[in-house]
Amino acid sequence: MHSSRTRRAILDAAIATSVVAVMGIARGVYSNELMLFNFIMFLTLSQGLNIIYGFTGYLPFGYVGFFGAGAYGFALAVMHLHLPAFAAMVCAGLAALVLSVILLPLLRLSGAYFAIASMAAAQALYEVIANPDLENVTKGPYGVSLSGVFAPAASYYLALAILAVTLMLVVWLRNSRFGMSLQAIRDDSVSASMAGISVVRGRTVAWTLSAVIAGLVGGVFAWHISVFYPDTAFDLSVSIFATVFLLFGGATTLVGPLLGVFILYGVYNVIGIAVPQYFQFTYGALIVLLVLFLPNGLVSLLTSRGIRVP
Amino acid sequence: MGALLQVQDLVKRFGGFTALAGVSFHLQPGEVLGLVGPNGSGKTTCINVISGLYAPDGGTVQYGGRSIGGEKPHSLAKAGINRTFQSPRPFLSLTVRENVELAAHYGDPRPGFDVDALLAELELDQYANRPAADLNSAQQKTLDLARAMATEPRLLLVDELAAGLNPSELNRMADRLRALADGGMALLVVEHLMGFIDKVTDRVVIMAAGKEFFGGTLADATKDPEVIRVFLGGGHHG
Amino acid sequence: MLIGAVIAGIFFGLYFTLVGLGLNLVFGVMRIVNLAHGDVLMLGGVAAWALFTSLGLHPLVSAVLVLVVFLVAGLPVYYAVVPRLLRSRDSEMLSLILFFGLSQMIEAVTTISIGATERSLPPRLMGVGPIILFGTRLPKAWFYSAAASAIAVLAVYFYLYRTRLGTLTRAVMVSRDEALATGIDVNMVSAVAFGISLALAGIAGVFAPFIMGSITPNMGVAINLTAFAVIVVGTLGNPLGTLLGGIIYGVSLMLMQTYLSSWANLLPNLLLIGVLLIRPEGLLGRKVRRA
Repeated sequence: MHSSRTRRAILDAAIATSVVAVMGIARGVYSNELMLFNFIMFLTLSQGLNIIYGFTGYLPFGYVGFFGAGAYGFALAVMHLHLPAFAAMVCAGLAALVLSVILLPLLRLSGAYFAIASMAAAQALYEVIANPDLENVTKGPYGVSLSGVFAPAASYYLALAILAVTLMLVVWLRNSRFGMSLQAIRDDSVSASMAGISVVRGRTVAWTLSAVIAGLVGGVFAWHISVFYPDTAFDLSVSIFATVFLLFGGATTLVGPLLGVFILYGVYNVIGIAVPQYFQFTYGALIVLLVLFLPNGLVSLLTSRGIRVP
Repeated sequence: MGALLQVQDLVKRFGGFTALAGVSFHLQPGEVLGLVGPNGSGKTTCINVISGLYAPDGGTVQYGGRSIGGEKPHSLAKAGINRTFQSPRPFLSLTVRENVELAAHYGDPRPGFDVDALLAELELDQYANRPAADLNSAQQKTLDLARAMATEPRLLLVDELAAGLNPSELNRMADRLRALADGGMALLVVEHLMGFIDKVTDRVVIMAAGKEFFGGTLADATKDPEVIRVFLGGGHHG
Repeated sequence: MLIGAVIAGIFFGLYFTLVGLGLNLVFGVMRIVNLAHGDVLMLGGVAAWALFTSLGLHPLVSAVLVLVVFLVAGLPVYYAVVPRLLRSRDSEMLSLILFFGLSQMIEAVTTISIGATERSLPPRLMGVGPIILFGTRLPKAWFYSAAASAIAVLAVYFYLYRTRLGTLTRAVMVSRDEALATGIDVNMVSAVAFGISLALAGIAGVFAPFIMGSITPNMGVAINLTAFAVIVVGTLGNPLGTLLGGIIYGVSLMLMQTYLSSWANLLPNLLLIGVLLIRPEGLLGRKVRRA
């Protein structure tokens, strides 16, 4: 009994490690660094979303709000506090953490209400940051330039480190009692409280963890890209992509979101960049078909036959 | 020896509707109290308030000598109060064993609860590694009971456990509840099936319109003209 | 200035009642969220623009055409996705995702066909010069949009409260299971409600170029947030509440634009979050929170 659990955890960790290794090696072999960086970003974001959606059932459509908060947390720390990049990254994480704490009351809302309220919150933050009245602070809609700290290699490896930590977090959740307690809350919060699980505490931990991950990804995005606009940092497609990748592969698993990113974002990079509308149409159709025919993602092809997927 | 559970003038309202209108009763360790009454008389609401799902609007709930009204369910579970649900609510995506294991870990302050022994005792051991979603409804009810028992409660609130069980399952369940009481647990049993109530309980409290109006043995209750009137008027189940 | 803002807000609010009404009808009847609502509205606008530029058709004529076509088109769309969706374990949540996918498809097809640029209609189509009401000057287009909205709202009430199918629709709104048990053809009732909802969005779209200045293929998301704010303020599932929500939204938007114009875009978002947190059941509703 116990050894089979340990074996599962080791398998999970091995998969996580190899993904990180592949993305690390890829930078030396493949020249399109920005594309690889985007892959790392979406691998991390879809797992961050996995923590809140897969384990607790809350789907924040406005997940990009934390990403944007992180990007601007980083940018403001560099522009106004003149902090070095690594210190500014701490501010990126903090910005997302603070935002997630402010938004904690949203967790009282159920399914669709929560999803839409979180989207409204992300939009509200965007409206504040992009407001021309705040040009002195945020540069408003005109965007920020952080060329002083530009460091493509360092930021790439930092993004990789964030991915590694995130994947390990998911491995831990999948193999720990705490992760199991989150799934219990998702299945039936009343029953979970009768099992002695603190529902509020569990949700709060998952929510803030997934927010901080998005904030850190936002921060390292700001560092890597160094010139960006509020429209990019709060682009709803970031939420959408992460959500679709997660659902396509299958939430609550480790490999589901990985598959989702590698397959779909791979396809996007082949056909999507030239004519984004064709890709938009394809993934729109894909979402519709998934919900109707495979609501638990690719991995459910196996899990519904009783096969455990890492 | 003082009562383990003392419910005094308990009131619960939902908007304009009064579900509990000042109900009072008490329960000793090792005792099984049946809560009986027509639909809508407030039995399940009683259990919901005692187990912490709702905060009371008036009156007190004393447990082991302290007032617990308004405390959260998860802390009450740790304090030794647990319950089953009228329609079972297992964690469908977790295995049967994980369902019980979580309760033993989070809800039982004493370490070392033997999950496998409990599963074997409740004849759930052959499903231990299957998802709870695979169980039929009688098995899910048993799992619900297992989840509650894994927290080693001193007070167990049982909400219509018998409904939907066949006669032999019914007898086994009755024996099980009696055995728990003989081990010192206090049980509050809400049930429509009078045969089951008769077999399991030491004493009954009969409720109507959110208030108790009879307390005593079931045998005495059946002789009480007021009880007969309420039951004939309100629909007798079982 | 205050009175002017309030009067303009009421007109504007009537229009936003029309924007939210169909979304609310679908939620009330099917307990699903049509996240493609804003995109259907956009399609109505595109139809009005295309019919005017190619055939010179007046938007009021287009509105009637859009009404019929969207109503009829709603039926097959309903049968294709909704019954299957409603059988799933968490249909409310899954509906968000499914209709989101649909909205992406609509946006993509529209962009491919007419490009991503802003399209508008000449305001003179709705008459030249302002209408003056209590000393407030309002564009004629607002007046017509508000009037069309008021007619549509009344028509929906007439349907729900004075026709047999409407009575059945209200029965389904109270309880889908009970309605099914009493032998009501729940799917047919819902399909018609779905068609009506698309027709309402389409008509709102025809007037969108006049109210919002222009339309673009990607306007759907913002419209959805606004429509959702309107119906949440009013109360989800309660069509009467939509009128209240629309007017509250319209008046507060005009007040924001008068006194705090650069922050006006924040309004629907803050209104939505605020109402959800303080009174998630809406101003007219019962509780909807999770236990």
